[in-house]
Amino acid sequence: MTGFASFDDGRCSVHILRTSQFHTRHIHVKMTRPMRREQVTATALLPYLWMEGTGEHPSALDLTRRSEALFGTVLQTAIGKRADRHVVEVYAGMPESGAGPDTLYKEVLELVWQVALNPATEGGVFPAGHVERQRSLHQKRIASVFDDKVQYAYERCLEEVAGDGPEALPRFGFVDALETCTPTRLWQTYEDFLRESRVHVYLVGPFADAKAEAERILRHLHKAFPGAADSAAGTFSHVHPLPPRGADERSVVEEQAVMQGKLNLGLRTGVAYADASYPALLVANGILGGFPHSKLFRNVREKNSLAYYASSRLDALTGVVSIQTGIEVSRYEQALSIIREQIEDLRNGRVDEEELEYTKRGLRNQYQVMLDQPMTMADLHFTGVLAGHSRPIGQLLHEIEQVSREQVVQAAESWQVDTIYFLKGRVQASA
Amino acid sequence: MRETFIESLGITVYEETLDNGLHVALLPQPGFQQVFVTLTTRFGSTDQAVDVPGRGEAWVLPDGVAHFLEHKMFDMPTGDVFADFARHGAAANAFTSFEQTTYLFSCTEDLAENTRILLDYVQTPYFTDSSVEKEKGIIGQEIRMYDDNPDWRCFFGLLQCLYQRHPLRIPIAGTIESIAQIDADLLYRCYKTFYHPGNMLFFAVGGFDPAALLDVVRENQAAKKFPTFSVLERNPPAEPAEVRQERDVAQLGVSQARCLMGWKDGQTGLAGTQLLRQELLTGVILDTLFGRGSDFYHRLLDEGLIDQQFSWEYEVSNSYGYTLLGGNTTDVDTLIRRVDEAIEAVIRNGMSAEAFERNVRKAKGRFVLGFDSPSGIARNYTAYWVKGVDWLDSLAVLDSLTLEEAQRRLAEHLVPERRAVSVIEPVSMATGV
Repeated sequence: MTGFASFDDGRCSVHILRTSQFHTRHIHVKMTRPMRREQVTATALLPYLWMEGTGEHPSALDLTRRSEALFGTVLQTAIGKRADRHVVEVYAGMPESGAGPDTLYKEVLELVWQVALNPATEGGVFPAGHVERQRSLHQKRIASVFDDKVQYAYERCLEEVAGDGPEALPRFGFVDALETCTPTRLWQTYEDFLRESRVHVYLVGPFADAKAEAERILRHLHKAFPGAADSAAGTFSHVHPLPPRGADERSVVEEQAVMQGKLNLGLRTGVAYADASYPALLVANGILGGFPHSKLFRNVREKNSLAYYASSRLDALTGVVSIQTGIEVSRYEQALSIIREQIEDLRNGRVDEEELEYTKRGLRNQYQVMLDQPMTMADLHFTGVLAGHSRPIGQLLHEIEQVSREQVVQAAESWQVDTIYFLKGRVQASA
Repeated sequence: MRETFIESLGITVYEETLDNGLHVALLPQPGFQQVFVTLTTRFGSTDQAVDVPGRGEAWVLPDGVAHFLEHKMFDMPTGDVFADFARHGAAANAFTSFEQTTYLFSCTEDLAENTRILLDYVQTPYFTDSSVEKEKGIIGQEIRMYDDNPDWRCFFGLLQCLYQRHPLRIPIAGTIESIAQIDADLLYRCYKTFYHPGNMLFFAVGGFDPAALLDVVRENQAAKKFPTFSVLERNPPAEPAEVRQERDVAQLGVSQARCLMGWKDGQTGLAGTQLLRQELLTGVILDTLFGRGSDFYHRLLDEGLIDQQFSWEYEVSNSYGYTLLGGNTTDVDTLIRRVDEAIEAVIRNGMSAEAFERNVRKAKGRFVLGFDSPSGIARNYTAYWVKGVDWLDSLAVLDSLTLEEAQRRLAEHLVPERRAVSVIEPVSMATGV
């Protein structure tokens, strides 16, 4: 299978993966613009408002029934965040074997455009009832982040690592700002968003003629997005990694009613997807905590029985490595010192041949599996688009293969522990 | 090797039961890079009391032992098996549920080597008392993690209300106290009882040649000796029709209350296609009444009573069946009342034929969409195999469902006498735990 073929027209792009391998045909629209504190909440509401109804299917119930009647087509919208970019998404997945070859696809595509480009209105703005319902749901959406402690600790740590930058803004926005999200204000945000956003449409399926399909879509988008062709794609700046800041580590401790402590570390590396040393960074993170053979799993979990999960994750765009563990609150010092040792060992070149080889093979497996997961491939492609660096999977695999131990050590040398975040329970704390 | 072609999905399944009793099922998906391989045994958290041949009375096991054994299988006399998989680029894992333990890996290269590693480590019990003690710290933290998880707590709170005796009540990982009783000797005994190939399934899905993979499994198994397999008698205690308690309330550090309502089936004992039929039928009923495309769901959203996490689930096996319904709510009692009223109304007035048909069609579409995920296929295929059900019959069964049986099923299943409620309340920030 080859990768996505891209077709651009100003700030709109269509990326098509032609394949007949899958039972599902996918349409994924990703619209993005830089996050700004004063817009972030209103922008986050847009994709949810879109699902409240369209001109043709004026309520959320009508819209849901319409998509479900199309052979169980999944129709979803979401708000995402990649580094300092807000990403408004519309996704549709439909079974290939539902109706005729392209009949279902055309109906679903039409529904996708209705959702994003023809939302229900009342007096020229979003209907007050829709806004009311979504403001109330959004408040709960924001509050829910608090309920999954593993995820909460992960996000809180990243927020601290991002400091004052736009990367620290929460993708759902702020409860306080919901009050100002009136129908008129939201409609204004919507129009601004259509005018300013960079639009990417990902398609996966057995398209007979990718170019013709892309052109058809671009013609449609041209009408919908004011000035689509005038603004050159180049005016959208690329995303850059967070540079290491100062020498001081930040320590953040939070207390909640929890049984298990969550010890998370955030490291700034200053390296991201577009850098030549990105593959070495991927391997370094893998050796540290990407796999069950990695240093964190072996030492924090297997050797010392301190945790059930102990791993690290690399954000390709910000270049932040985040380490996550769930531990007994009283074992904080011991766990932290073991984690630090693992980072130091990596920096000092204490990486044996097996760790290097296993990690490279593990990464190769992950990226090869991705070829079976077209939506994950689309995400990786999108990462490349945001970073301004195209890296087909084949090339990435080759680059990983070439990474030497020296390059891994070199990559780890610039790492800086930026934030140590600890979520702990009140009971244990006072015991 | 038996071949079954399923036209509606364009797939062929290959099956064979080896001489030692191991059942092998292979589902090739041409064009896929990965192969997802699983080895499953019928040993789960609900296997709490077993009649072992030759023993007089039922053997009672500590809570969480199946899951504990799963963790310890990864130890080999030569070290830990993750390194072996890593050498061949495979991603390995395992999970334990109510009725099964499944060991798995996915890989894009070295399929034969990885398959042998899987078969060999799951067929090599190696436990020492010191490694068992060490594992208690790790599993202890896994239990703690679940203790803080509101979905998990609400779910088990509900099962503990619904069931008086059935071991569904037992948390899958057990408790810190119950796993303290586990030692190497017990693990060996459980291993001998539950890990005979005659109690197990080898299932692979993805891009591979079935004949070649079957050869690898056959050859590996032929070289090993096993005693004769005698079928295990699992006798879960008879479960009374009534629920144990109507409501359970727990407090956690969450932002909002959540509430799960549950109904347990009075009649159990279904098997095969009948069981699959009951599962799919109940699913369509629940989706029609409470799903995203129902009036009910949108009315409650409008009232601000629920949010978009509101969902339903139906689980059925030979010895149990239950429906779950709920999510976050601003008012537990109003939510319960609304649900009761909705059920009464549809029992009285009948279900809309249009909505029923739409949801059957949706269920069929969603089944097909699932066929792009080898891991999802493996999870479903193995879980249904353990129950003695061929999951791949689902489309045919969905096609044959009728509104009349839905109406009957609804009236006998969703009854107030067999209902319980589990509530998680936010702990007050001022007072702490």
